[in-house]
Amino acid sequence: MIPSIEILIPKNLNEVLGILSNQNRVLRIIAGGTDIVTGLKQESKRFIDTEILIDINRVAEVKGIEKRNGKISIGAASTFMEIYKDQIVSKELPILEKAVATIGSLQIRNRATIAGNFVNNAPCADTVPALLVYNATIEIESISSKREISLQEFLQGPYKTQLKKDEIVTRINIPVPPKSFIGDFYKLGRRQAVAISRITLAVMMELNGNKINEIRIASGAVTPIGTRFQELEKFAQGNEVNDNFLKSLASRMGEEIIKLTGLRWSSEYKLPVVQQMFYVILRSATTKNL
Amino acid sequence: MINLKFILNEKQVVVETEPSIRLLDLLRDKFNLTGTKEGCGIGECGACTILMNEKAVNSCLILAAQIEGSEIVTIEGIANGSELHPIQKSFLKYGAVQCGFCSPAMVLSAYALLEENPNPTEEEIKDAIAGNLCRCTGYKQIIEAIVKTKE
Repeated sequence: MIPSIEILIPKNLNEVLGILSNQNRVLRIIAGGTDIVTGLKQESKRFIDTEILIDINRVAEVKGIEKRNGKISIGAASTFMEIYKDQIVSKELPILEKAVATIGSLQIRNRATIAGNFVNNAPCADTVPALLVYNATIEIESISSKREISLQEFLQGPYKTQLKKDEIVTRINIPVPPKSFIGDFYKLGRRQAVAISRITLAVMMELNGNKINEIRIASGAVTPIGTRFQELEKFAQGNEVNDNFLKSLASRMGEEIIKLTGLRWSSEYKLPVVQQMFYVILRSATTKNL
Repeated sequence: MINLKFILNEKQVVVETEPSIRLLDLLRDKFNLTGTKEGCGIGECGACTILMNEKAVNSCLILAAQIEGSEIVTIEGIANGSELHPIQKSFLKYGAVQCGFCSPAMVLSAYALLEENPNPTEEEIKDAIAGNLCRCTGYKQIIEAIVKTKE
């Protein structure tokens, strides 16, 4: 049973910050509600103490997608459908577009939001690997502060972020990737739709002729939280994108994951799949452009 | 309790309700609109699909207070008096209804699709109904009914 909770519907960001500044009651921000309402229904310990929900769907400052100062600024409460349909995202952030396209179902994508996804920070959060390879930063505000940090820094552990009780994530900022960057996103779920990710991979790279100038690699659902593989990226830099190298890179990817997680019940299945699919998306991204 | 004002099937309504009951329960219990069904209660089966501001959403994941001022359309709202909507007629004609439990939501997902995209491909139809589970038909007749509606 969902407990009796008060719901406030502020009209602008200032109202939200004001409400959050009064910490006498247990407050929680709600946008799409696809994690929170499910959690409340299942009496999840993470949400059961909620006394007041703050619905931010009508707060203009956390909606909308636009270019600002050479970056693409995505409102925290942008739904996955809004992001998927956006022209700027289609043109400049194809990896993010692909990542949001297969989350849940159409009904879920019409409500669920990008910040909700990474603030909830389930190990399988689909936006995280995509945002990590885009070097996304997030803007966080409270009544007395405003800060911007990298998404990577913000995420601390499964279902755990740096977000303080009186803070709200307002925008996600992504530097416009240079036209020379190529990449791909891969998701494996138990079904083609309404499937929680078992493996996600995101890769972005810039080639100089046949050699890797820069590469960014991230995974989701295979380590405790979505993660970048900076060691692997350094290792790959300067190397030729021939078949042998891509295979060895994919093999190393698997090793890096095991270093982070140890052997799990799912490793026997996931490890070879990650390695093979990582190789496949590297291959497909590079052959398209050579 | 709050006084919730919204538009339900094109009519302005006001209702006194607990703010945090689910929209699904508000529709079924307060308004007696039992066409919207509860299948899983956690947003995975789509049986509770309704249209909110013209978008298909799971009503089991929305709390009553959140719909203030919104336009809500349920399955009961798409027929024209006693004349069924073309999608409903198609569903009946092409055998897309067996037990009928998924049908109201399935019809609304099709409705939302055709309102936005009157000429969808079969892939687009499948995407539109991917969030609506059917345990009876195997989906073939449902897809055909939608294809025939647009023709």
